[in-house]
Amino acid sequence: MVKRKVRLSEILLNSSVFLSTTLSALALGLIFFYVIREGTTLLNWELFTGNYHSRNYIAEFQDEQLQNYDMPDLSKVENVYPVDRFGIVLQEDIDLAGNGVVRVYYVHPDSPFNKMISKEVGTEEVDLDVGMIFQRISYVNHPTSLSRGGAQKFATELSDPQREVYELFFSDLGGGIKGSIITTIYLIFMTLIIAVPFGVLTAIYFNEFAPSNWITKTMRSFIETLTGVPSIIYGLLGITVFVPLTVRFTPAVNSNLIAGALTLSVIILPTIIRTTEESLRVVPDDHRAASLALGANKTQTTFKVVLPQASPGIITATFLGIGRVIGESAALIFVLGAAIKDTVNIYEPSTSLAVHIWSMMTDEPANIALSSTIAILILAIVLVINLSVKIGVKLLTRKGM
Amino acid sequence: MKKIVLLFSMILMLTLAACSAPVEEPGFEAEKINVYTRDTSSGTRDGFMRGIGFADASADDSVLVAGFITADNNAIMSAMATDKSGVGYVSLSSVNNTIKALKFEGVEANEANVLNDTYKLKRPFVFMRRVDGDYVNDTEYQLTLAFIAYVASNDGADVIANAGATATAGTGTWASQVANFPVCASDNSAVTLKFGGSDSVQKIAEALSAAFSPACGNVKTENDHTGSSDGFKRVQGGEKDGVNYKHIGYSSRFFRDAELSGPETTRTQMAWDAIVAIVHKDNPVTDLTGEQLTKIYKGEYTLWGDVITD
Amino acid sequence: MKGTRTSLSQIDTIVGSLLMILALVASSFIVIIAAFITIRGILPFITDNNGLGSVNVLQFLTDTVWLRGTTFLSTAYGAGFVIINTLYIAFLTVLMSFPIGVLTALFIAKVAPRPIAATMRTIIELLASIPSIVFGLVGVGLFLPVIYGIARSMGYSSGGGSSVIATVFVLSLMSIPTITAVAEVSIRQVDESLEQASLALGASPTQTRFKITLLAAKSGIFSGAILAVGRSLGEATAVALVSGNARSGPSFGLFETTATITSTLLQGLKETNGIDYDIRFSLGILLMVVILTTNLGLNFIKRKVGNVHG
Repeated sequence: MVKRKVRLSEILLNSSVFLSTTLSALALGLIFFYVIREGTTLLNWELFTGNYHSRNYIAEFQDEQLQNYDMPDLSKVENVYPVDRFGIVLQEDIDLAGNGVVRVYYVHPDSPFNKMISKEVGTEEVDLDVGMIFQRISYVNHPTSLSRGGAQKFATELSDPQREVYELFFSDLGGGIKGSIITTIYLIFMTLIIAVPFGVLTAIYFNEFAPSNWITKTMRSFIETLTGVPSIIYGLLGITVFVPLTVRFTPAVNSNLIAGALTLSVIILPTIIRTTEESLRVVPDDHRAASLALGANKTQTTFKVVLPQASPGIITATFLGIGRVIGESAALIFVLGAAIKDTVNIYEPSTSLAVHIWSMMTDEPANIALSSTIAILILAIVLVINLSVKIGVKLLTRKGM
Repeated sequence: MKKIVLLFSMILMLTLAACSAPVEEPGFEAEKINVYTRDTSSGTRDGFMRGIGFADASADDSVLVAGFITADNNAIMSAMATDKSGVGYVSLSSVNNTIKALKFEGVEANEANVLNDTYKLKRPFVFMRRVDGDYVNDTEYQLTLAFIAYVASNDGADVIANAGATATAGTGTWASQVANFPVCASDNSAVTLKFGGSDSVQKIAEALSAAFSPACGNVKTENDHTGSSDGFKRVQGGEKDGVNYKHIGYSSRFFRDAELSGPETTRTQMAWDAIVAIVHKDNPVTDLTGEQLTKIYKGEYTLWGDVITD
Repeated sequence: MKGTRTSLSQIDTIVGSLLMILALVASSFIVIIAAFITIRGILPFITDNNGLGSVNVLQFLTDTVWLRGTTFLSTAYGAGFVIINTLYIAFLTVLMSFPIGVLTALFIAKVAPRPIAATMRTIIELLASIPSIVFGLVGVGLFLPVIYGIARSMGYSSGGGSSVIATVFVLSLMSIPTITAVAEVSIRQVDESLEQASLALGASPTQTRFKITLLAAKSGIFSGAILAVGRSLGEATAVALVSGNARSGPSFGLFETTATITSTLLQGLKETNGIDYDIRFSLGILLMVVILTTNLGLNFIKRKVGNVHG
């Protein structure tokens, strides 16, 4: 073999190829690294199952019989402040959304904070549980302790023997994303229920029934054009067409989940049509001919012979659709709004996970930690969907060979 | 290929050349002032611009200095933590030790100075309710009145303070007044009170709703904040009978003349929100007057030296 | 079910027509979108907007300040600078992502051994499937502070990092997978005999890849670039988070804040009626027109270029 003179330009060209590839790979790594670094602090099961809006309680002590409580050893825990005279320990903590709160770390079984008199209508007794957060405590003839001042100040004021506790205001932990998870699941199901049959039947028309003429060609190109429409334009479509439509024909009075699902359906329709059509096209014509020769009509042939063979394509299309629904933000900001809800109703506005990130990022101040946590969840789902489509396609093609 | 590379590098050089002028080190006097502002829909901006005597800029960007930066509350805070030559403004409740809060007309921004009216750079948080007789039923009417009394009580003042504003009232504890509102002694969990209006009040309004609910028969509350002008529109104005109607509409500015159609008794001021001009910690400036701030935002002062030697 | 031959074919006709109706609905969406947005978007120009007077078309298309006068009281909107910004940012994005995307495609298709190529392909597919809001989040958290620091150290001032360059970076990350995926397919479709001929004539593999393979695949590579331009023009949420949402312009400096059609569209969404809301639909028309003309123009160039080299 002749030894080639390696030229400088070749080295430069080659290294530019490697550099570009490294940059592309780095981009993905950077995104994952950043989101995981920022988001893991808030990542816990409570966040996924917790309410966003916290329930508030008002109570007063039954009797302020003070005694000496044996308190737990706190030497190894940081940011905790014991209130010896009431047998509780407060902790400087963050809620699920990452905002600073005064959290209950420990309550002694004999503490007056157990079995307090509730000042709400309908309930008589209420306990302070570990994990709850204090809003404020009012005293007789003393300024109220506010959680804003932090746990240490709160505990110091509560420990002051001069102060006689008047009323206690506390709540459970807020900031959870349960509502947004449920909304996203609703959206996925509703969108798929509308878009998959619609898309599959349209694909069947184009591949099996449509005459090949200019009309069909125009229709195809119209659908193909939809893929190039930015999602924000779909948002405008949603508020001008689907929201008024659903307000008119359903109990909804405003932007709502159904309008959101309809908008998302239009967004994923071209993908479903194209993917289904591709898998219909690879079904061998012999199978159609055989079925027709056996006396079946075109309808039977299509739905009983051709369609089952195209099912892997339809499943792929469905998965791609799910990914798009989970990630969509711009269109939904218009159609669904950004109000975060704990109880989800399809006739009402609520917010999906991606829009929840948008709300957190445009909030004052922007909540990067919670946004990253939600992003981890979204990325995990998208990752699973993509890999399973990839593996599925691989398995099916191997089987096909 | 070479021509293309040459073309690209020329374009890049041109774009770099078009960048804003380089900042000169080291003298701070020569440092260019970077002006940060909220966008025209912000109540904080309206309060700030009116407060410094530059009302024209409250909803009009074209009168501001060229090259100003539009940012939200948080972006201004983080920008002031890093941008040595920036100036911006935020609510008093947002101020922390990452930035430097400036005195206004020589008066320090704190709660006492806001309430005794010596600190003038502030905006009111007000709200209006639906007019008498414009409620679906008496329960909703009574609950609305109870809410207003709650906001004015010591409890309401505590909630407002805890959410970061300076409450104007404190009429005694809610427990001493609740007897005046028999509606709060029954179970109201089937009724929903709807709140809307200014989004700068949202955090406080949500805290008030959450605190009021257990204090008055667990009434359901719904906060949907879309901007100060909707505070009037959806309560007494054109949209009051629409799908987005509200019982209470908040505003982060005093209601405008056109919004004063209802009786005086339907409107209440609940708090002040002091606005503070902020700069980077290393900035030697400690105090600015309304006139200086106006000149900075107009673009008549472009260097920090203009205010230091002023 | 057993039927005669005629009833069987009748079923086919019925089913065929039903399916055709569905297909017609599916293909009519694009028409519905265009029609509704055009109608809503033209209204501010031809009605008097509840007494405010109509928006001047010429000013809207050319002015360099988004709104002169008071929000909701003025109709002096201008989006000329927004159009220029949008095109400028798309151009810079392609400038940045195109070489990286194409060379990555070349690596996957021609250079890398099979397992590495497969891994790299998966990476690109994953990058393509990341939702845009996540790119926005990473842009805000990761890029903005870095860009701010770089701008500062180079002596330029920037609005907390929100800038043209931040927008271009975020959009480039989103465009690379599009360009790579399309380019890779067309590179692999290049006739191998061409490459072998080149090698046989004594060209090195590197020379062959750059001078023969890439040139032969240029039509497909160009299609990828067109798709990437489309995505850059239409991306909304990520851009809105990092652009700084400037209200005047155009912004050519890399460290200046900017605003695109989509990011402007997303601002001020909180109101639900009035001129400031209606004008968003006019921006919608503008966005569609810009995307359409850019696409047509680029496709025209693609055909021209294709013709010259056979």
